[in-house]
Amino acid sequence: MQNNECIYISEQFTKYQDNSLSSEIRARIDAHLTVCSPCHQLYQDLNKMLDQLHKLPPVSSNQDFTSNLLHHIKAINQEPFWYKIYASSYTRIAGSAIAAGLIVALGMNIWIDPISPRSPQGQRNFSGEQKAQTHPTEAITSQLDSLQGSGADTLELNNSTINSKGSSLQLVSGTK
Amino acid sequence: MTDKKTDEQLIAEFQGGQEQAFVKLVDRYKDRLINFVYRFLNDMTDAEDLVQETFLKVYKNKHAYREIAKFSTWIYTIAGNLARSELRKRKRRKTFTMSQLSFDDNEFTPVDPGKDTEGIVFNTYAGEEIMKAIKELAEPFKTIIILRDIQELSYEDISTILDIPMGTVKSRVNRARLKLQETLSYLRE
Ligand SMILES: [Zn+2]
Repeated sequence: MQNNECIYISEQFTKYQDNSLSSEIRARIDAHLTVCSPCHQLYQDLNKMLDQLHKLPPVSSNQDFTSNLLHHIKAINQEPFWYKIYASSYTRIAGSAIAAGLIVALGMNIWIDPISPRSPQGQRNFSGEQKAQTHPTEAITSQLDSLQGSGADTLELNNSTINSKGSSLQLVSGTK
Repeated sequence: MTDKKTDEQLIAEFQGGQEQAFVKLVDRYKDRLINFVYRFLNDMTDAEDLVQETFLKVYKNKHAYREIAKFSTWIYTIAGNLARSELRKRKRRKTFTMSQLSFDDNEFTPVDPGKDTEGIVFNTYAGEEIMKAIKELAEPFKTIIILRDIQELSYEDISTILDIPMGTVKSRVNRARLKLQETLSYLRE
């Protein structure tokens, strides 16, 4: 870059290529490019580079892409509700931590006082959580039952190797 | 038979419970998204996994789509966010591995920038060279080059996808191109 004018010119290159500059600025760039060889060279290099970018060979998906995706969706829909909770990585980490905590707590409990429960409050909380977990499962099961009846949710694959005609994909998302 | 339905009609049908509409959207977008994500990650297997994840998100969160936006910008936003977070994860892993190496072996092993450009055979040397240069770019420049100069999206769509003003998109495109050109010259030396 030669001077401030060169910097200014290089900042306008994209708009210059897009033809979105005023005629005065365009004329100023045209004039500069005829006298400044580094800027002229840079502009040519940029054009070559853009040409290369446009000609990058496209990549395409594996031919099993759609069928793999649909299998994945089907598998998720068939997982029991508790597994969906477990499968999310954050829940898994939290679950492991809670499980480890429970084991330690249980060990301590047995070691300190093998007979009487130390915290009846904690037990009540635990059973309360269990109850809260069974509730959405029931809701989703009943939703899936109602969905299975409607033909609109049956999924047919056009050009994939698996034939899922007749097998229905069920919706996970219950929010409408 | 060609399907003349717009993306927005298809997503509306899918939101209404027609799963066949989802499959049509997958067929329309899978290659575009794989091309997009592949340029970020330089790895076909990772790109396919990430695009699978993108479609799973669309499937699970179909009601999050509102007709005020184009479907294309919505799905590009999801894929772009996933790709950028994957890049950040990789960067953290790489930093961790390098600090371990220098601690354990008192040795610094730089990663070959072209090492994981596997899974694709380039037609030209120029293609390979430009991919290496893109890989060297800082994330905002890389994103803008991929969206504008490889995917050839409009400034307006890029502005929506990245949630930045159109003026910023245009100036960032210019700076990214200059930066890429500079990187290419540096690689050629
Ligand atoms: Zn100049």
